[in-house]
Amino acid sequence: MENEMKNFVGLSAVLTGFNESIIAPGIDPINIKEEYLAAFIDNIGTALCNEILSKYESLKAAGKTDREIGEGMLDDSNGDAFTMACRKLIFLWYSGAWPTLINQGTATVSSLLSAESYTQGLVWQVMQSHPMGDSDFRYGYWNEEPPALSAFTGNKTKN
Amino acid sequence: MKLFITTAFSFSLAIISYACLSGEEKKESPEEQVSAVAESLNAEPPNDSSVVLSAVMPKGIHAKPPFSLESLQDDFDEFSWQSFIALNWPANADGTPNTNLTIGEQQAGANVWQLWKSSREVFLPNGAKPNAWGEAENVPKVCRNLSEEELKKGIIQLTQVGKTPNVLDESGEPFQTGPLIDQNGQYTRYEILVNEIMFDYIVDNKLYNQEGQKAFNQDANFPGSVPNTDTMGAIMVKAAWVKMGGKYDKTKFHTTYALVYNNPEEQEGVEEACELVEVGLVGFHIGHKTKSDPQWIWSTFEHVDNVPTKGEARNKDFYNYYSADSDYPVNEPPARPWDPATKYTTPSQIERVIPITKEAQAINKKWQDALRAAVPNNVWANYELVSTQWPTKPESVTDPAGAPAPPFLANTTLESYIQGKIKQTSSSCINCHNNASMTNGKFSDFTYLLQRAQKEKN
Repeated sequence: MENEMKNFVGLSAVLTGFNESIIAPGIDPINIKEEYLAAFIDNIGTALCNEILSKYESLKAAGKTDREIGEGMLDDSNGDAFTMACRKLIFLWYSGAWPTLINQGTATVSSLLSAESYTQGLVWQVMQSHPMGDSDFRYGYWNEEPPALSAFTGNKTKN
Repeated sequence: MKLFITTAFSFSLAIISYACLSGEEKKESPEEQVSAVAESLNAEPPNDSSVVLSAVMPKGIHAKPPFSLESLQDDFDEFSWQSFIALNWPANADGTPNTNLTIGEQQAGANVWQLWKSSREVFLPNGAKPNAWGEAENVPKVCRNLSEEELKKGIIQLTQVGKTPNVLDESGEPFQTGPLIDQNGQYTRYEILVNEIMFDYIVDNKLYNQEGQKAFNQDANFPGSVPNTDTMGAIMVKAAWVKMGGKYDKTKFHTTYALVYNNPEEQEGVEEACELVEVGLVGFHIGHKTKSDPQWIWSTFEHVDNVPTKGEARNKDFYNYYSADSDYPVNEPPARPWDPATKYTTPSQIERVIPITKEAQAINKKWQDALRAAVPNNVWANYELVSTQWPTKPESVTDPAGAPAPPFLANTTLESYIQGKIKQTSSSCINCHNNASMTNGKFSDFTYLLQRAQKEKN
């Protein structure tokens, strides 16, 4: 189970482009990763989840870079269900919602997991902003430059 | 909770593109992050005998490895108990702890924090400069009408001198969420006090009036305690009191006489009045700024008989704010208008929404046992820690609140009606106080007190 979470966090970091320390801090009072892993398994099934996490683990063990792992996970040769699950995992981390494709895959209906998943969505971090209706920035923050994107992602980024 | 959003699928494609462009370089692993957080706490050396009833106020936590969210929470909870003991230690006339006594030995005198400056002594009408530390309190005029005979019974006996009772001038909870009504149908009363370090910072920088704050023209930054040094930081406390008598057994409470003041500034229609009343402590907040916790450490204590926990057995014959016979809605404030002079108001029916954790309960038992061992029937053993809120990422630049743990914390006597786990609505000490500003809009360093500054009268 511990390994499952470790691989899930590692995979999530690679796919989202965020550092593990941001999406799953060592001291983590919110612990959104548990909610996301449960939703991931619930929506795609245990077998596919195990397949995805095993593939990540083997690529990691082979010493691949994050980019190589990301490309390996999203490669068409993995099959539609596999790659779509990875893409949906990215959607989940960024929006806090689980997506369902409709209209022959041209649109997405998504279901927000919880109030916490809404505020924890990475999309707000990429925007260097905050969720609508929930800001931890202080009074008058709108008059100041936001922190650098790298501070939000935990990684050095190419701007 | 289910919310449905329809978006173009291109949204997730855009995300994938972004994801592939970033993630080039790792900064630190979660494991390294834990060590960094623990180091940043600048923790005091481990203290093997953590249950020592001491009058010394701690300046930081005793962090004990291996570090985890749970272990650090325990360390902060121990810090809270150490603080509670030190602040409630019997005081000498000069406000220092009387080390000839131990906590619980002196019922009639004041404790250390009760000799601090109350908010009404700091933020005076017309922005006047407060009296010096240790100088007599400016009591409301109406309280001065009490006869000497009446007042005499309320004088707090300190070493060689007497002290005028404190003034309780608040009867409502934060953000106009309502008053809390006791089992006798009376309003619970509140006071906020600051230590000398915090008081000095306010006076030295003239933050006690609006003109001074304008001239200061920068964010407030109170001193923080530094472990293993003489540097003590700013501390503020908020106390909730219930009037003794009627259904309340005063032997179970820390009691004092106080000038209970009906403050016209609180609510429209309240008429100024003052009476000397024996009150018992039911709730106690401690906010302590330390160098490694710039978001402050927030500890909150309650009387053990305050309320039952939602969904758990009601195993006590009497609760301070709950009755098995009541059909009043749970955790609902009384109807307006709110006037503390009202002779009788239907008692509040309060339940604790977030249970006290098993770990905190174990720590409570340990300290309560130590208090009873030191002094039989020690009244302080009738108090319990609800929890301690602390920043897990104190240096975060993207989250000035520092990702507090636990994310929510409420005292049933001080945030009765805003308990729960809804962000920006439910009580969270750090998240709430993170929004505090001065009268000029500058950040006030996690205290709303500076908003009480009045305009200076020339």
